[in-house]
Amino acid sequence: MISNLLLILSWIYIIFGIIGIFRFSNMYARLLTSSKIDTAATITILLALMFKSGFNFFTLRLVILLTFVLITGPVSNHIIARSAYLNGINLKGEDKK
Amino acid sequence: MLKITIFLLIISMLTTSIRMVFRATIWDKLLALNLISAKTILLLAVYAVYKDNIFLLDLSISCGIIGFLGITLLSRFILRGGRQK
Repeated sequence: MISNLLLILSWIYIIFGIIGIFRFSNMYARLLTSSKIDTAATITILLALMFKSGFNFFTLRLVILLTFVLITGPVSNHIIARSAYLNGINLKGEDKK
Repeated sequence: MLKITIFLLIISMLTTSIRMVFRATIWDKLLALNLISAKTILLLAVYAVYKDNIFLLDLSISCGIIGFLGITLLSRFILRGGRQK
């Protein structure tokens, strides 16, 4: 029951992720929204899978996967934003579509 | 339920790859790489639970590691002054 609810929630996140890619024109806005929504979708889907698969070796691996993605997701997005910033994309620029 | 999740994940991967890869800046491509690697982790995890196959989960963990390493090394290459668009 809970896993189905969480799955529906993750659908909403994925759909917003798709919309988020098309809408924003500024580089950083696009980067921010897609990465944030992506991490949120990951958390909800993995939680839904944990509830679905009960308590066995599946959930152990899913917990490891969840902690790993929680650590590396934002860090990799930060690295991309940092490399974009250092190489000279201005913050408020309206770059081309 | 899981089938629709798999379908949605595939659609979001397709739109990301089509929309983001053909952009001008390098960082859009890096962002696309990050998104697609995260989506493949999810796809593998959902498919593993769907087929009740436990080995696919190990695959998704290693895919996460590879994706993360790829992004860090690529951005270091760009920071070091790789070809700039």
